Amino acid sequence: MTIAQDISLASSDKTAPVLRVENVSKRFGTFTVLQSCSISVSEGEIVTLLGSSGCGKTTLLRCIAGFWAPEEGMILIDGHNTVPVPVNRRPVGVVFQSYALFPHLTVEGNVAYGLRMRGVPRSEISRRVADALESVSLRGFENRYPSQLSGGQQQRVAIARVLVLEPRVLLLDEPFNALDAKLRGTMQIELRELIKRLGMTAIFVTHDQEEALTMSDRIAVMQGGRIEQVAPPDEIFDRPATAYVADFIGLSNFIPCKVRDGKVTLPDGQSVATKESDTVKVMIRPHNLRVTAQGTGPWQGQVRFQRNIGPLIEYIVTAGEAEIRVVAMRQDRTRPWSEGDAISLEVIDPEYCTIYPAV
Amino acid sequence: MVTISAPPDKPRRMDWLFDKLLSGQGIWPAVPAIIVLTVVAVIPFVMLLSLGVSEFSVSRGQIIDQTFSMRHVTSVLTDQLYWTTFQRSMSLALTTTAICLLLGYPVAYVFLIGGKWTRRMILILTIAPLLTSGIVRTYAWLVILGGRGVLNTAMMNIGLIDQPLRIVNTHWAVLIGMVQIHLPVMILPLIAVMSRHDRKLEEASANLGATRMGTLRNVVLPLSAPGIGTGAALVFTLSYTTFVVPQLLGGGNYLNAATMIYEQVVYSLEWSKASVMSMLLMSSCLVVLVGIALVTNHFTGWTRGRQG
Repeated sequence: MTIAQDISLASSDKTAPVLRVENVSKRFGTFTVLQSCSISVSEGEIVTLLGSSGCGKTTLLRCIAGFWAPEEGMILIDGHNTVPVPVNRRPVGVVFQSYALFPHLTVEGNVAYGLRMRGVPRSEISRRVADALESVSLRGFENRYPSQLSGGQQQRVAIARVLVLEPRVLLLDEPFNALDAKLRGTMQIELRELIKRLGMTAIFVTHDQEEALTMSDRIAVMQGGRIEQVAPPDEIFDRPATAYVADFIGLSNFIPCKVRDGKVTLPDGQSVATKESDTVKVMIRPHNLRVTAQGTGPWQGQVRFQRNIGPLIEYIVTAGEAEIRVVAMRQDRTRPWSEGDAISLEVIDPEYCTIYPAV
Repeated sequence: MVTISAPPDKPRRMDWLFDKLLSGQGIWPAVPAIIVLTVVAVIPFVMLLSLGVSEFSVSRGQIIDQTFSMRHVTSVLTDQLYWTTFQRSMSLALTTTAICLLLGYPVAYVFLIGGKWTRRMILILTIAPLLTSGIVRTYAWLVILGGRGVLNTAMMNIGLIDQPLRIVNTHWAVLIGMVQIHLPVMILPLIAVMSRHDRKLEEASANLGATRMGTLRNVVLPLSAPGIGTGAALVFTLSYTTFVVPQLLGGGNYLNAATMIYEQVVYSLEWSKASVMSMLLMSSCLVVLVGIALVTNHFTGWTRGRQG
């Protein structure tokens, strides 16, 4: 109890990061799940750990929560190393993937659980539980059992249950997985607004890039137990630091090019400055390409496939040996290119191409 | 064009019956079980009941007349011996149930927190005794607990006691045997409930500040209430009506309800009294079972939440 109290009292310095993960490594037997991961999260910030399954994102979350202990590194909350602190004394609140609500307790019982375990007096419990339920708009649901609630309501109970303890860091493990696709979009916006309104510091784990882009102030893309890049959503999308991040987030075309005199010449003749040398891979987003009539440029190809994806049109163009994806806004469609048409490709803004060493 | 011809229209009575039995509607699927139970349980039960409330006139080994009489019922209910015997049965069964719960719950908890191999070992060790008959297991206790048995010899060898302890043919021998025979029946429903537990609930509990003890008391225990109820009901029923263990380990002079009924039937040839006692045994057992069910229901109100 004393350590947890120390930690919550030491939160006066608003500029220092709330959570600092320093060189954390975790192995299971001979298999390394986390390789010296470092990340820091400041007060009121929402950071997402994004990656495909097995990238280590859940492991890192479980290490922060204290369910697993890392072999190396430190996890500091308000400057105190929490690695030796047992799970039940850490100032972190976990919202589990399937919410893990206690089925034998009512909504009120679930939210009061943490306060009861901490020996908070009865009158204070009922006041704080009422406040917490108010903040997630669940007043009037006190006496329902979790099985009588919808997925969205269950999620809000799970959040209220940890909020009521005023944790320093909120950890959310794929909180939208249990919801159906339609509800997900709305809940993502709602949850982000709720966390922001409460001024909570939060870490999300997800494999869904759209969810990550919606929810986060910053995204940490993980792969093979490492953090590849930590940056705001726009930067992750427009300026991916590595070829893996570029490939993982959004659609991308990789085109092998040669560097001459510090410049890469793109297939359509335009050029971009680079610090790389020899052979490189240039990543061009599908929406950064334009399809024009044949003969207008040197990058020629043939439309292999075209389809309507709502407000967008997607083309798959065969250019030499490469297959290039192009996405155009529906109203930009000046000419209905159809399958088999011979066309030219053009990069709209060469500055938005990113360049990676060819491996 | 291929025309699909309708199946040949041959009305067959068996088809109609199978269709009904497999339909999953109404009581049809239960019909075979109802027929079997009527033949093997309901009819014998009614005959047993009629024995208890009848007066027979026997002439030359033949029943010549059967009249209604409450004589046997009143004679059983007013005899102090029968009351003490039923009390002994009841307290033995309740003690066995309590001890089985106390010994079985920790095993089930280890099953819950254990890994794959721990779980397998517990399952094997729990089921293995059930593969031998209760009589064999009871005889094994005679070998262990007897005057020159394994236990007495060992205790005398290390100098704990000078004379062999008299364990067999006492209340203690019966209790030990009962607990060992019925422990698996308690552990299995507990394990069944525990293996359905969401381990995330324990993590959530710890994350919310509960100690291991707190999680056990506030999460694991309430969630295993259905298993405790089932296990307690099974162990109670089996040990309240048991015959083999008290007969063998009690050395023939330990009377519980079942052994007493056996003596009435086999030695005293008082079939009507035996019938009355069987009815008493059955109905008192039912009363306790209803009690267990009510208590279990009280602690598992949340499982019916969906309807409420």
